[in-house]
Amino acid sequence: MHIENKVLACVDQSPFADHVGDYAAWAAARMDAPLELLHVIERHPEIGDTRDHSGALTPNAQEQLLSELSAQDEIHTRRAREQGRIFLNRLRERALAAGVESVDMRQRHGLLDDTLRDWEPGVRLFVLGRHGQSAVANRPDLGSNVERVVRVLQRPVLTVTEDFQAPKRVLIAFDGSVLTQRGVQMVAESPLLRGLPVRLLMVGKSRQAGPREMELAAGSLRKAGFTVQESIQDGDAQEVILQTIASESIDLLVMGAYSHARWRSMVFGSKTGDLLRKVRIPALLLR
Amino acid sequence: MKSLHGEWFSNVRNDLLAGMVVALALIPEAIAFSIIAGVDPKVGLYASFSIAVVIAFVGGRPGMISAATGAMALVMVTLVKDHGLQYLLAATVLTGVLQIVAGWVRLGVLMRFVSRSVVTGFVNALAILIFMAQLPELTNVTWHVYAMTAAGLGIIYLFPYITRAVPSPLVTIVVLTAVALVLQLDIRTVGDMGDLPDSLPIFLIPDIPLNFETLKIILPYSLTLMVVGLLESLMTATIIDDLTDTKSDKNRECVGQGVANIATGFIGGMAGCAMIGQSVINVKSGGRGRLSTLCAGLFLLILVVFLGDWVRQIPMAALVAVMIMVSIGTFNWGSIRNLRDHPRSSSAVMLATVVVTVATHDLAKGVLTGVLLSGFFFAHKVGQILRVGSLAEDEGRQRTYQITGQVFFATADRFINAFDFKEVIERVRIDVSRAHFWDITAVSALDKVVLKFRREGCEVEVIGLNEASATLVDKFGVHDKDDADDLLLGH
Repeated sequence: MHIENKVLACVDQSPFADHVGDYAAWAAARMDAPLELLHVIERHPEIGDTRDHSGALTPNAQEQLLSELSAQDEIHTRRAREQGRIFLNRLRERALAAGVESVDMRQRHGLLDDTLRDWEPGVRLFVLGRHGQSAVANRPDLGSNVERVVRVLQRPVLTVTEDFQAPKRVLIAFDGSVLTQRGVQMVAESPLLRGLPVRLLMVGKSRQAGPREMELAAGSLRKAGFTVQESIQDGDAQEVILQTIASESIDLLVMGAYSHARWRSMVFGSKTGDLLRKVRIPALLLR
Repeated sequence: MKSLHGEWFSNVRNDLLAGMVVALALIPEAIAFSIIAGVDPKVGLYASFSIAVVIAFVGGRPGMISAATGAMALVMVTLVKDHGLQYLLAATVLTGVLQIVAGWVRLGVLMRFVSRSVVTGFVNALAILIFMAQLPELTNVTWHVYAMTAAGLGIIYLFPYITRAVPSPLVTIVVLTAVALVLQLDIRTVGDMGDLPDSLPIFLIPDIPLNFETLKIILPYSLTLMVVGLLESLMTATIIDDLTDTKSDKNRECVGQGVANIATGFIGGMAGCAMIGQSVINVKSGGRGRLSTLCAGLFLLILVVFLGDWVRQIPMAALVAVMIMVSIGTFNWGSIRNLRDHPRSSSAVMLATVVVTVATHDLAKGVLTGVLLSGFFFAHKVGQILRVGSLAEDEGRQRTYQITGQVFFATADRFINAFDFKEVIERVRIDVSRAHFWDITAVSALDKVVLKFRREGCEVEVIGLNEASATLVDKFGVHDKDDADDLLLGH
């Protein structure tokens, strides 16, 4: 569909969209990739809206109802389209001002996860707000879309919450799994984080192969020209990560995400979800 | 998981309210349809409860209302009259089984042979039959009944101008019942029509001999019920699809209707299907999810069982008024206007469906007539596309016939007559590479032509037969081969 490898910023009409746009612009500039701003207009045919409980079947009730409902949808969609266009334009100006060369914008109908799945082949990096239109910033909750969307995607997703701040120190939460090994490789090869000091952290001393895997990972990062500081610590993964972020003023977290089946996270909760609720810095999720 | 949650709980408030509106409208209908079928009102009421509740879980079209229906009631009249309720219950269970089988073998795809004109004919015939079924309540009665019915219709259509918060059919029923009680009018009430539910339904096995004789009695009815039920259900599903701009799972709906009917047969209810009118009311009232259907069924049962003594007092005139509203609302009034503008063949199909249905009281026969007739008309139209041109060549020694178009049973004669067998000539070339031979009749027509020319002493050469007969291969899949477009659009 698209051969270009763009950065795709998924925005909705919330205040957080600015942050998403800014981080996406930062990423696009660093990777020298085109940026696309995507606004998905979701329709909700499963929700009815009416105050008519008269229950009377007038002649031609069906035709009337059909034209009424389609007229409603039409007005709705037109309004959303126009609002979205104005709002996307503003974000586009902002990204151009931030120094990105090519900024495209697009509105699509459909559900967010379906749309992103369709769009994935041409995308190198997704940028997504962890809160959406319906959320309040200081409520420690994940936007309703995040898990759903991240799960359907195969490419890395940068999720952001707060005002843009160019990341200066990166923490890679490394657990030796194939997923994070591949993630380290990705970081090493990508221009996105090039030049930033990397903190490689593994929690849990019990793993026998740990030190060896750590060494390999650090090695490949160094070979790519990164300054790496690695350590293996004991304790609860989430706590150690949060501590490290706080004490070493980390401002970008790289981690594997949602590696377990959906049902498990519904029953036991998801580690990824928990952690994402607690950290305030942007997180680059690897799939 | 997402869709399951979405189908049930994304519209809770509206679904509950719409479900109640629908339940209130379902009660008079269920009673009226029981009367049409010739059974106690409780048979229809239990059926409406059970079908609505079961289909809420197993149906393929969220937001569609299924219950006891007029279309089905009309089919079972003679079964009830000749053999009684128990055979009806058995036929209901068998109908369900047949519908499940139909769903499994994906019979729903046959719906595409039911053209729009047939659908219009179906709903018009249904409306006429529902209206006609009310006439016995309006003949040989005192003027009170006419006055009550007229007043009822007045309230139904005018009350919404005052408020749309309360269902106007409910207001009609309450007001007319109150009037009848206060004035102590001696008119027929629902209680006169037979038993009402006095308890929750219980499981029971139809009391019939399990033998071949029984099967011979109920199978024809069950087959018709299956067809009518699926037809109306799938039509209604399409209507709701259009209204809400969403898709439904038609095969799941077939199986779901089957499951609902089996369950209904075992609790003493009559067979039912989706209802066009009620489903439209549901969507109009804001119902979209499965919860609306479930709520309609549960609310109906609660009302009927606990307010049974009041339901008994409802004058039949109120019910007749509601049913007249239903028939007026079901009838496609635009189709009368369209008789003028639409192609005459479409109008003929529509009218034939209506006439046959009203004459036989059997929607299946009407639809079959409509489908066959649209088939004839289509064959006739496509048959127009056949041209045979010819040219003398080689200084009058040879003639080349150029065939273009569709050769099949309806055009085979015309194809043969287009050749001049009496021409004195040495060689005939028949170029069929731009024609399509659709069936064996077409091929034998070509054989005949070749034979006739041979008899006249001509050499015959047929060109392009391979391309022309590609359509003959009885695989529906010509279209999915790479060169399908070339094949079908003139090579």
